[in-house]
Amino acid sequence: MTEFVFFGGKGGVGKTTVSSAYGLECVGGGLETLLVSTDPAHSTADVFDQEFGDEPQPVEGYDGLSALEIDPEQEVQDHLQGLKRQLSSQLSAAMVNEVDIQLEMAHQTPGAYEAALFDRFVEVMRTADPYDRVVFDTSPTGSTLRLLALPELLERWIDRLMDKRERSIDLYEKAAIGNREPRRVMDGDPILARLQERKERFEFAGEVLRDDAAFYLVMNPDELSIRETRRSVETLEDAALPVRGLVVNRLTPEPEPHEEGRGARYLRQRVATERDRLERIEREFAVPVVATIETRVEEVRGSILEEVAAELEVAVEDEGSVQSR
Amino acid sequence: MTLADRIATFRATLEEWVRGLYHGMISHPAYEKIEAEAEDAEDGFMLACFPDAFGIPSPVSYYTAELLPYLEDEYEAWERRLWDRQSVIERKGHQYHF
Repeated sequence: MTEFVFFGGKGGVGKTTVSSAYGLECVGGGLETLLVSTDPAHSTADVFDQEFGDEPQPVEGYDGLSALEIDPEQEVQDHLQGLKRQLSSQLSAAMVNEVDIQLEMAHQTPGAYEAALFDRFVEVMRTADPYDRVVFDTSPTGSTLRLLALPELLERWIDRLMDKRERSIDLYEKAAIGNREPRRVMDGDPILARLQERKERFEFAGEVLRDDAAFYLVMNPDELSIRETRRSVETLEDAALPVRGLVVNRLTPEPEPHEEGRGARYLRQRVATERDRLERIEREFAVPVVATIETRVEEVRGSILEEVAAELEVAVEDEGSVQSR
Repeated sequence: MTLADRIATFRATLEEWVRGLYHGMISHPAYEKIEAEAEDAEDGFMLACFPDAFGIPSPVSYYTAELLPYLEDEYEAWERRLWDRQSVIERKGHQYHF
């Protein structure tokens, strides 16, 4: 049984670092892991110093870890090209132009980007069998939350469309009194078949998100991040996708007690404020803080990533639940 | 002309009249009305599928675009009906035979 773990949060809080570290932790626990980046500004490549593409690719130096970067722009273009090819082979030349305009329009609507991303999401979920754990490094809060709330919304839409289509076909069939040929027939209607197929996909995605997925939010100990996280927790809760834990990243390290001077005083003050905020987070959020990670001087990559992974306590409890299955 | 022939002619004429009457009074308005209703329902479907044709963004138009290759007839008829349709009254008026 594959389990899906999503890391979300405000931009720049270190989602990529945390999810990469979590990926390592999973690999360390003997799980075949796939790391999926959905952030259009991919940074997994920077963390592992390796280029990744649209297909899962093993990460060099780590056995059992693969990574994949989704490019929504490319997905939209592929979808459009595929449909255009299909159009020119099925439609009469006169209609192709008409329909082409409609097609271009549909691929420029604000939702197209998300729909493409969502499509790829579902595709990854469907083909996740070889992996024990799939870790999603999502794009900043807003778009991801909308994305995860999509299946339910889309299912309802498709339902309405199918209902309308069925009603019109039904009427056409009724209009064929005597032995007239009805203009459309219900049996083998390609439109209904296509919609049904879509609907099943959405249902699948909805089920996976509800049953096999865990959500973690990454945050920094600052006001903005706390507020955004609070909103995210609510939004996810509304979509019936409860958040399992919070990861507080970028905590300021405390100076040695004997150290004095401006830098040390500054750090001490910061540490005090952050401790207050951390306490507030633990008090005010219903969601537990599962890990706190200190900030690093350098970019997190290579061996530092392993250090960060060691600080993460997220994996431990989850493995238990996986192994007990 | 024999009596049998005259009866046969009479019956043929009568049959034609009866069929015409039935067609005009019952079957024709019935299927025409239902078909118009079906077209209306189909227009509703098309509008729900492609609201961006009217500048209304839809969360599913990315997916409904996939239906276009199968919708040749519907799409053409839809466009034609939209051009024809001056008003709701004009469209609904079709169903009454004065």
